[in-house]
Amino acid sequence: MKRVISLLVVLLSACSSAPRHTLPPVVDGTQPGRPQPEAADSVERPDRVEVPVPPPAPSGGAVVALLDRADAYHQSGDIGNEAATVERALRIDPNNGRLWNRLAAIRLDQGQPRQAEQLALKSNALSRGETRLQAQNWRLVAKARWSMNDSVGARAAEKKARALH
Amino acid sequence: MARKKRTTRRRSAKKRRKSKRRHSRFPWTKILLSLLVVLVAYVAFLDFQVYRQFEGKRWSLPARVYARPLELYAGLRLTSEQFASELRALGYRSVRVARKAGEVSRNGNRFQLISRPFVFWDGQESSQSVRVAFSSTHLKSLQDDRNGSALALARFDPLEIGSIHTARQEDRILLRLDEIPDILVEALIAVEDRNYYTHHGISPPAIARALWVNLSSGRVVQGGSTLTQQLVKNFFLSNRRSLWRKFNEAIMSLLLESRYEKDEILQAYLNEVYLAQDGQRAIHGFGLGSRFFFQRPPQELSTAQIALLVGMVKGPSYYDPRRHPDRARERRNLVLRVMHEQGIIDRAQYQKSRTEKLGLVKAAAGTSKTFPAFLDMVRRQLRRDYNESDLVSEGLRIFTTLDPQLQWALQKSLDQHIRPALKKQPQLQGAGLVTHSANGEVLALAGGREAGFAGFNRALDARRHVGSLIKPAVYLTALEQSTRYNLASLIDDDALEYEQSGQLWKPNNYDRKFHGQVMLYQALANSYNVATARLGLDLGVNAVIRTLQRLSVDQALNPYPSLFLGATDLSLLDVTRLYLNFASGGFQVPLRSIREVLDAGGVPLQRYQLSVERVIDPAPAYLINRALQMVVAEGSARSLNRRFASALGLAGKTGTTNDLRDSWFAGYDGEKLAVIWMGRDDNQPMGLSGASGAMQVWAGLFASAGAVTQQLAQPDSVEWYRVDRERAGLADTGCKDTVQLPFIESGSKPATAPCAQGRPRRWLPEWLQ
Repeated sequence: MKRVISLLVVLLSACSSAPRHTLPPVVDGTQPGRPQPEAADSVERPDRVEVPVPPPAPSGGAVVALLDRADAYHQSGDIGNEAATVERALRIDPNNGRLWNRLAAIRLDQGQPRQAEQLALKSNALSRGETRLQAQNWRLVAKARWSMNDSVGARAAEKKARALH
Repeated sequence: MARKKRTTRRRSAKKRRKSKRRHSRFPWTKILLSLLVVLVAYVAFLDFQVYRQFEGKRWSLPARVYARPLELYAGLRLTSEQFASELRALGYRSVRVARKAGEVSRNGNRFQLISRPFVFWDGQESSQSVRVAFSSTHLKSLQDDRNGSALALARFDPLEIGSIHTARQEDRILLRLDEIPDILVEALIAVEDRNYYTHHGISPPAIARALWVNLSSGRVVQGGSTLTQQLVKNFFLSNRRSLWRKFNEAIMSLLLESRYEKDEILQAYLNEVYLAQDGQRAIHGFGLGSRFFFQRPPQELSTAQIALLVGMVKGPSYYDPRRHPDRARERRNLVLRVMHEQGIIDRAQYQKSRTEKLGLVKAAAGTSKTFPAFLDMVRRQLRRDYNESDLVSEGLRIFTTLDPQLQWALQKSLDQHIRPALKKQPQLQGAGLVTHSANGEVLALAGGREAGFAGFNRALDARRHVGSLIKPAVYLTALEQSTRYNLASLIDDDALEYEQSGQLWKPNNYDRKFHGQVMLYQALANSYNVATARLGLDLGVNAVIRTLQRLSVDQALNPYPSLFLGATDLSLLDVTRLYLNFASGGFQVPLRSIREVLDAGGVPLQRYQLSVERVIDPAPAYLINRALQMVVAEGSARSLNRRFASALGLAGKTGTTNDLRDSWFAGYDGEKLAVIWMGRDDNQPMGLSGASGAMQVWAGLFASAGAVTQQLAQPDSVEWYRVDRERAGLADTGCKDTVQLPFIESGSKPATAPCAQGRPRRWLPEWLQ
């Protein structure tokens, strides 16, 4: 069940956040020496601004496997390795807002509210349109700010969390 | 009761006096006895020495430094060639069918291999038998070789990139006896000390034989030392040849044998033995010897390679296979013959091994010669957190962030662009730093044009004028005042004269032309100096300095308007820190070159964790990133479009200083940031601009490493509009030449352009529609 949830997490975030997607360089390596049309042409005309539709994250399986491992560390109370494993997943999928949210929660557990707050903000920056995740991040921010005795900031964050529901 | 005791004491005192009298009658016994006491005391002292040194920490071990481990998963951007080169560096053997750890079989884009076990921060990674297939750009599939099921992830043993040791220090990799192949041990015993398992530390027949041979030839040609004696000699005693030392050696050998098991002594010998010299570093033990000559652990050595190492024990420099290959081969074959005669190998194996090549790796692996500039950075970080003495003695295991693929690509690109220019510009230099934008890990670092040159580290220590690289700080300062400025704000690029403390400042453009009214993003994209100066003056130099300080440029900056054009000295490291704020979407990410530090036993000591800090609000961060993408799309870096697809969304900024003294480029894709500098150490002109020099190195690097699409994370508070290029007003379908630009919802926007037929509406990028 946990696996299924992890998989869903990754797939969902793959649709909404901006996953890595690679295009090969146009000339280099494949057709050396053949120049492309020069700069004047390569200045894009506005109707040519194409942003490719993001494909599903190719690295999903690896991230799910790492999240499973992080869960196992969490269960056994090994918070250091849980954090290390989520950071490992972030190297593979750095634009995955859910991974940043997970790391934020871990930092809160580790007693680092300032980092928890900042990581939750980072997660939000990557979670456009994911209101549930955003609300979750704001609640995390609020918690972190409460523990830093920033009641004004905490209330503001709670308000933002409520507004997203 | 008390009385009774006293009488007993008296009686025994009487007895003592009696015996005293007897002794005085035989003085020679007394002398003999005291000699015996001295001898016993001396032996006890030696015994204590043997015990103390053998029980305690036996060797001081240098810290070992590793690159990042390669992690394989389907979808990873890696070509089969890159994979093959990494396996080569790791010393994986090419075979027809991989059966043991460290073996690989390749068929075009398909690999079948068995990874080596390794202890990481989070525990032991066991050996995995995998099949890997590649497309032209990516890892296509990763399977468990035993049952064909898909594998999510496989982590390889990391490349060792150096060790931290003092001058003339011994280096070794400690192994347990069970980690050393039986035939190595058998061969060693057959060649060096056949009676090892039967003698008690010294071997009288061997000594007699040696004595006979030496006497009959009139010089020392043969030693009668057992392995135990050799170990004692290396372990406890000086290198002088004297009878007294021989005596000590014999006594200590006997003591060692009486105290410890044969296998314990053998294990110590295998780790102690001296095998080679690598500059200032002495190579000891079969673990490191095996890695030093063959770049693999002893378990993976062939019979011939084992014979070579065993043969070298007799004379490491005389039989050095790199310097005297013929001599070494002869000695190896002699060892092989002994192994065959002793029944350790059969005839077929003997014949086959005799003809095998020496199979040495070219460069001495694990030395600090391969990536000295990066190691320099690692060392600086370590020195902040550890004592120097612990670094060179505790056998710490340092896991760094270095990505060998990117390091090789960076060095190759620097070389390709600098080497041809050296005829005209023999003093041309270059440096580069590549980081992971999201987590700040340093992936590659070059401190000069020559890979492997351990000298002046230009990436860390050279501070140069940065020129236009500083401009984004000016434009960000403006964009953060969203009610005053937006990307389409018109800025005057006509001649400017500014008087400050009696001096007249007249900035000029790189093309020596003025461009009239330009949109804010165009002024940055084309790096117009005059427009930037005017914008900066409008904002005030202190506002720009505050921005720079917030973006972690922490040194004192001169509060003069020339700062807007980069008349300030920064290091490549400083520039990297500055641009990481942009590349990570407005978050400051501390640079890290170390991930974890483990002690010699694999127990975690310290982790350098990922941390972030928001320094730019999401909306202005998005705008400045879009503007830096426009630098590539239509500005001073547009020639990159010849090599890279525009959909990659690359962003960056060129920098050129007066008279072409410095050539800079800072650029990033969706994953990594690279900053490149080219110039001369004596700060003389060298004829390259940012675009013609550093940017070409950058392009070469990203072309071979592969560029990753960058999709900026758009905040809700930003919306897109079409803007008429000619009049810089909001446009619709009625306008012909338009550009799409993002604006902050609550901020300023241009008036509607005359060409617009209706009321211009928000424009949605296709992927949002």
